[in-house]
Amino acid sequence: MILADLAPSEMRRRLSGPGLRVRLGPVAVQIRSPFASVASAIALHYAEHDLLDPSAFADFRVSVDPPFGARRFVGKQALFKFDGMANFRPLPATQAFPLLEWGLNWCVTSQCHQYLIIHAAVVERGGKALLLPAPPASGKSTLCAALVARGWRLLSDELALIELGRRSVVPMPRPISLKNKSIGAIARFWPDAAIGDVVPDTLKGSVAHVRPPGDSVRRGGEAAVPAWVVLPRYAEGEATELAALSKGEAFMQLVDSAFNYSVHGRAGFETLADLVDACECRAFTYGGALDEAVGAFDDLVKT
Amino acid sequence: MNGNRTWRALAPEAIASRTFDDELVLYNDVTGSTHHLSVLGRSVMLAVLAHPCGVALDALVRRVADDSGIDADDALAQSVERTLAELSELRLVTPTI
Repeated sequence: MILADLAPSEMRRRLSGPGLRVRLGPVAVQIRSPFASVASAIALHYAEHDLLDPSAFADFRVSVDPPFGARRFVGKQALFKFDGMANFRPLPATQAFPLLEWGLNWCVTSQCHQYLIIHAAVVERGGKALLLPAPPASGKSTLCAALVARGWRLLSDELALIELGRRSVVPMPRPISLKNKSIGAIARFWPDAAIGDVVPDTLKGSVAHVRPPGDSVRRGGEAAVPAWVVLPRYAEGEATELAALSKGEAFMQLVDSAFNYSVHGRAGFETLADLVDACECRAFTYGGALDEAVGAFDDLVKT
Repeated sequence: MNGNRTWRALAPEAIASRTFDDELVLYNDVTGSTHHLSVLGRSVMLAVLAHPCGVALDALVRRVADDSGIDADDALAQSVERTLAELSELRLVTPTI
């Protein structure tokens, strides 16, 4: 059973009461929230995800609620909690769904140490995975959305889950997070994309999410073998270029982009070294021409 | 330059390394640090790791010259010595005498 099979009234009841349990790749999550904006965004973005029985084990129990105490009088706010604990400051209630997404990212990066976790988008074609590690504002998610729009399978737009000691990336297909100008760019490039409400004035600017394709969600149990590591860089107006990148530089970029490399010590080093050893490495610059960008990656697959 | 001075890896059992073409990446269990060495650093570090009991600076310079196909002159010796000093600061190598 998937979330789309659940009546909207039952979804709201679970979210407001015992919690809605869904499978997100390798983890089961219980979500609670009374906010209507969260319910409607979950209905849109997680429609194809597996719905779990209310009594099923949940790896994470999260909630986005109005805060208690004096803060409840400071405008309308939303507070993310993990296992009942609030680790973050509340945000305006209009940001309740992005807050849930950021909170879930935090849960994965701080808890899922069975994986080496890289801040990277991951897409797959022909059984081979493309890793796009990059700092914020590099155009990683925009590029990821453009590739997914043209048939690449989404594993994640944010978190590459690398199995330790194995050259394998585990999918966690969730909504693709777009910011500012990239929202309009993807809306034009991918007219069929299911893009949620634009939430303005967040710490990252305006934010909107794109629903992951149903095929990517249904194949959420299929790991992929990394074949390419490409460092994207968005530079407005610059020409599209896929250039050589030394494996040593690619390796260090992955180390810098890893959330929990230091947790794994030598095992993390060996896992990343094996990965880089087996991958082609490139640096990619693009100035916003998404058709050209996708074409460059299609050419990479053919070589 | 003290050509008789010998150098060894500070904790060879704690170092994991991987060579990518001309580059070397290292992980040091003792410090938890990861390092990316380019051509000269790679050549010097691999030569030191190949001699657990220590290797004299003169021998290191000759080894690097052989690896690189260049003359073992004073300029190279100074470069090797500077590289050793940098590797020492990173707690990867140490002088033995």
